[in-house]
Amino acid sequence: MTDALLSVKASPQAIKLDPRTKLFLMFVISTIMISGSIEGEAAYVRLVLMCVPFVLLLTVKRLKEALLYVFFCIVAWFGEAFLVYSTTGILNILIVMLSGLILRFIPIVVLGYYLVSSTHVGEFVAAMERMRVSQKLIIPMSVMFRFFPTVAEESRAIGDAMRMRGLGNKGFFSNPVTLLEYRLVPLMVSIVKIGDELSAAALTRGLGGPGKRTNIFRIGFGPWDVVLLTLVTAAAAVYLLA
Amino acid sequence: MIELRKVCFTYGKGEQKSGLRDINLKIHKGELVLLCGESGCGKTTLTRCINGLIPHYYEGSLTGTVCINGKEISRMPIHETARVVGSVFQNPRSQFFNVDTTSELAFGCENMGFPEEEINMRMAEAVADFTIHNLMDRNIFKLSGGEKQKLACASVSATGPDILVLDEPSSNLDSKAVEDLRRALKTWKKKGKTIIIAEHRLYYLRDLVDRTILLENGAIIKEFTSREIVTLQQKQTEQLGLRPFHLPSSTKVVPLEPERDETLDLTGFTYSYRGATPAVAVDSLQIPKGSISAMIGLNGAGKSTFARCFCGLEERFKGIVKDNNGLWRNKDRLRRCYMVMQDANHQLFTESVLDEVLLSMKKPDTAAAENVLLDLDLLPLKDLHPMALSGGQKQRVAVAGAVASDKEVVFFDEPTSGLDLKHMQYTSTVIRKLQEKGKTIFIITHDYEFILRTCRRVLHFDSGKIIGNYPLDEEGTARLLEFFLIKSREET
Repeated sequence: MTDALLSVKASPQAIKLDPRTKLFLMFVISTIMISGSIEGEAAYVRLVLMCVPFVLLLTVKRLKEALLYVFFCIVAWFGEAFLVYSTTGILNILIVMLSGLILRFIPIVVLGYYLVSSTHVGEFVAAMERMRVSQKLIIPMSVMFRFFPTVAEESRAIGDAMRMRGLGNKGFFSNPVTLLEYRLVPLMVSIVKIGDELSAAALTRGLGGPGKRTNIFRIGFGPWDVVLLTLVTAAAAVYLLA
Repeated sequence: MIELRKVCFTYGKGEQKSGLRDINLKIHKGELVLLCGESGCGKTTLTRCINGLIPHYYEGSLTGTVCINGKEISRMPIHETARVVGSVFQNPRSQFFNVDTTSELAFGCENMGFPEEEINMRMAEAVADFTIHNLMDRNIFKLSGGEKQKLACASVSATGPDILVLDEPSSNLDSKAVEDLRRALKTWKKKGKTIIIAEHRLYYLRDLVDRTILLENGAIIKEFTSREIVTLQQKQTEQLGLRPFHLPSSTKVVPLEPERDETLDLTGFTYSYRGATPAVAVDSLQIPKGSISAMIGLNGAGKSTFARCFCGLEERFKGIVKDNNGLWRNKDRLRRCYMVMQDANHQLFTESVLDEVLLSMKKPDTAAAENVLLDLDLLPLKDLHPMALSGGQKQRVAVAGAVASDKEVVFFDEPTSGLDLKHMQYTSTVIRKLQEKGKTIFIITHDYEFILRTCRRVLHFDSGKIIGNYPLDEEGTARLLEFFLIKSREET
């Protein structure tokens, strides 16, 4: 019986990384991506780092998304490297803005997607506990995982109700404040209500007791963690020294 | 043993729920006690006194004592109470702390600091007890309401509390999920757990209840033994303001009026969410104008998708609706249809009840709006903020919006979930009034009594198809009952 349970718990990922590795990757890659440019030696560092989200997407079997990601990266790189110099006027501004934004943010967004979709809340909590983060911080952070899908779900329902009552986005430009209010007030009310019920439910399940909490998720560094950590650290070192 | 002595409770400011007056009650180990009575009678409050949320979470003034095994709840920290008392709540959407089911199942045990081996054992046991193998390691946001409630029962069960407190657990469930819930209760009972359950829907509890307690205005006014419950006739339960304990003899059939010849012709109602198998696949369907149809079927049978497509909410939908005067395109339908959603919180936007009605009208007219409010018994509340109302009142405001909009087709999504007998009858009257104005009405519902009281036709959905489209005459009623009782028959 326990075996059956454990087998469904086995993760569908080809390479399993420790959440701490993921956080470190996130930190280094986002810093370098946002601050760097495509010229000089730093460009090679960025090129290497841009491959990391691609590989990670493959490990969670997201082939289509991974190819799309590569496509966008190549186009944006091409834009920033060549088109910028061969165009003028508004077109030039557009290309600079778009390719700059895509190149800087897409790897981060993809990495964030990977982080959230491949990490159990329990693993995340375990990682935070190992890093000796206080429970007072861990609990709200773990609720965030649940909070965003809830907001999305509620917001969709409210959007439908608005369209049903003829309050769609068409009138947005004539009356943006009212429309925003129509959308936000019910959203806040239902989120507060859900939050209130959720807190009550959590209390009846023993959250916040003084004893030590168990965590059934085992985390730890494996060979792939070492590979990625070394790679990223090396990249960061080159980037800083260059 | 649970003992309540002279318990009085009044909520602090900001809570509209009614309190309790002089409750004296002893519940023995292994008993299943049902708390019933109209909305606001104090059932929920009583359950909160037992699981410690009163006085530890909900504020107010509490006198008297609530003891479990001789220990006073108000003096015990709530995480201690949590080891003895497990709670299942009404709303399946708001009792989850995790995103995936496996973490959720482990959550309670982890909080209590059980060793890892033991947690795995307890989880395995809960999975087997509640047969939820197919739910493990899935995203909770992708589960149906019934599946969520089943998981909630299993998660509570995993920590092994001796006492279980359930607050209207069946409110959002279809007939199959209610049957699953009944099995869960049976499992617990077999293990000798003490169960306290507050509920409106009573029929599924008939064979399980040891004692039924009737509350009114926060006080216990009557107690029934299990034998008395079985012999209660429908008239008697109705006088007590309760839903019946027996389904079959529920309600008399209302005579059918002749239907209009004009019809709404639907063709090509096929729709699938991205990459999935079609959620609805109905080739053609005719609905008489001005009729009230009940849409029945299990969760995930395509009822909601059908409604959303009909109302024009799904932009990619290509199906066709026609009447004598021509075609209704997606955008036309968005203009001509109205849906009263299950959660009224999502569709109230303005700052007062009156504004809410005015917002729905094509030409705002205060006098007409007040008339609508009068019909729905809402006129005294017209200047209040919709969000300050009780759940039932909000639901009525949403209905008022539908009436005022004067749209031709109105969908109701489970308008009676969690309603007591009185409010269910009230909703039924309002919907029939709407029909008298010539509207065509569709109601998605899992409420057998309500269908008999309100509807004239049944559309039975199964895996996206309509497998039954029949009037509610004598034969139709028998067919309807068959659908609602199918599960219990399988068991015998």
